[in-house]
Amino acid sequence: MKIKFGFVIAVACAAASVAVDGQMKNNPSLPRTADGHPDLTGVYDLAMLTPLERPNGMPAVMSDEEAAKLEKQSADQNRALDKAIDGNRAAPPKGGDGSVGPAGNVGGYNNFWLDRGSNYSIVDGQRRTSIVIDPPDGRVPAITAEARQRQASRLAQFRPTSDQSESNDPGLEPAGAYDDPERRPLGERCLLGFGSTSGPPVLPNYFYNNLHQIVQTPTHVMILTEMVHDARIVRMNAKHLPSTIRLWMGDSIGTWEGDTLVVDTTNFTDKTRYRGSTPDLHVVERFSRVDAKTIKYRFTIDDPKTWTKPWTGEYTWPATSERIYEYACHEGNYAMGNILRGARLREKQSTDKQEK
Amino acid sequence: MRKPLVFAAGLALTALPAAHLAAHHAFGGEFDPNKPLLLKGKMIKLEWVNPHAWLHIEIPKADGAQACQFTPNAKCEEWMVEGGTPNTLLRRGITKESLQAGTELVIDGYQARDHSLNRANGRNITYPDGRKLFLGSSGTGAPTDGADPTEPPKGRGRGGE
Repeated sequence: MKIKFGFVIAVACAAASVAVDGQMKNNPSLPRTADGHPDLTGVYDLAMLTPLERPNGMPAVMSDEEAAKLEKQSADQNRALDKAIDGNRAAPPKGGDGSVGPAGNVGGYNNFWLDRGSNYSIVDGQRRTSIVIDPPDGRVPAITAEARQRQASRLAQFRPTSDQSESNDPGLEPAGAYDDPERRPLGERCLLGFGSTSGPPVLPNYFYNNLHQIVQTPTHVMILTEMVHDARIVRMNAKHLPSTIRLWMGDSIGTWEGDTLVVDTTNFTDKTRYRGSTPDLHVVERFSRVDAKTIKYRFTIDDPKTWTKPWTGEYTWPATSERIYEYACHEGNYAMGNILRGARLREKQSTDKQEK
Repeated sequence: MRKPLVFAAGLALTALPAAHLAAHHAFGGEFDPNKPLLLKGKMIKLEWVNPHAWLHIEIPKADGAQACQFTPNAKCEEWMVEGGTPNTLLRRGITKESLQAGTELVIDGYQARDHSLNRANGRNITYPDGRKLFLGSSGTGAPTDGADPTEPPKGRGRGGE
C-alpha cells in the first residue's frame, strides 16, 4: 500500500481528518508519529481475567455489576491467599500435598510471586467474557479429523506446543516426556513464554509477566514480549520471506489500513504449533489505537489443516506506566537440571524395584 | 492436603488454578513428595534470577559444612528454595534492600528428588510469625491495596481503569 507521507504530515499537523489511500482517518486526536500514523509506541499490560474461550452458560458481554462481582471474588481470593499462616506449622504431609497440575503433589510457591490480572477486558465499552468473538459462541472451532490424528500421534505428545499453559503433573504426562530437555515445554526451556505470550496470536498467560512493548518506526514495528524476552520484528510494506525460511514466531509483515496496523504472519516452524496447528498457520493481527492509553488487538487465525474454519479473537491492550524487566532465563534455570535429574532418579528407583 | 477454599462457580472462568499454590515448571518432576521439609533459618541471599528466584538460607547444624554467617561460633547447612519470577516483585517496588540478609524465615516445601541437593520448593515462605514475605507491611514495597495512604497510585493501566 502506498502512503502519501507529505500529504499525511501536512494534514495531520492541521489536526484535521486526513485521507490515506482513500481511507478516512476519523480520529485526529490520537497520538501520531511524524509520518501521520497512529503512534502505537508504549508498554502494555495484558494481564486480565477474560479467558480465551467463553465458559459454558456465560453471555458474551457481562453487565458492569456482574463483572464487578467476579473481579471482587478474584481480589478476595488473592487477599485470602496472602493472609498470614501458622508460623509454628509442621512440614507438609509425606506422600505429597495433593496439588495438581505442574505443582503435582508438592505445591508450587506463594501467591505473592503471581500477577494474574484483576479486570475483565473492556472492548468497545463491553466487558467481555471471552477473547474469541468468532465463532459467536466464543469457542475455538472444532479441529479437523486430520488435526485430531496428528495431535494424537506419539510424536506430537512428546513435543509441547507454544500455548501449553504450564507443565503437567508428571504422573499424567506421556511416557518419555522427561527423556531430554527438548521434550519439555518451551517455557521450561526458556525459549518462549508459556500460554502463547509471544504469539502470534499474543495472549495473556493468566499467571505473570504479561507486559509487552511496541516500538514503531516508518519501516519496522517491534513487539517485545517480557517473557521470555522475545522481540518480533514486523517489516512494514514488505513481502513475505521465501517459504523455505521459517521463524519461531513466524514472518510478520505490516501495512496500514487507515488507522489500523495490520500484521500478517506466515512461515511458522513446527516447533511452536499453536494449539496443535501446522507450519501453514496464518495469523492476521489488527492493532487499532482506541485512545491515548488503549490499543484494541484483534487476530484472525486460519489453518485449514487444523481448524474447520478460521476464528477471531479480540481484547484490549491497556497502556501501563510499569517497566519491562529483562527476563534473562537460561543462566538461572536450575530447575531444568533438577527436573531431568529427578526423572533419571525415578527411572532408577523403578528399575531397582523391578530387579528386586 | 489442599486448602479447602470454596469458590463461586463463576470464578472458574477466570482460569485461576483452584489450588492455593502455583508453579510454572514441572515442580512435581523436580521435587519429591516423599521428602517434606520444614526449614527454619536465616536468609543469606535472594538470587533475583528468572525463570525462578532462589532464596538461600542457612540453618545451624552441628555437622554443617560451613561457618554460620548469622549465628556466632556455629556451623550451618545451606539450603536453596525455589520461588517465582522476580519480575513481579520488582514491579511491586520490592528491591534487594526489602529483604535483608539475616532475616529469619520459616519455609515449608519438599526436597529436590536428587537428595544430594539441599534444594526445595518454597511452598510457603513466611516470617516466624507466619506473615507471608513482602506482604502486610507498608513502606517496604508491599503491594498497593489502598490501605496505606502514603502508597503511590497503582498505575496499572488495565481495562476498566
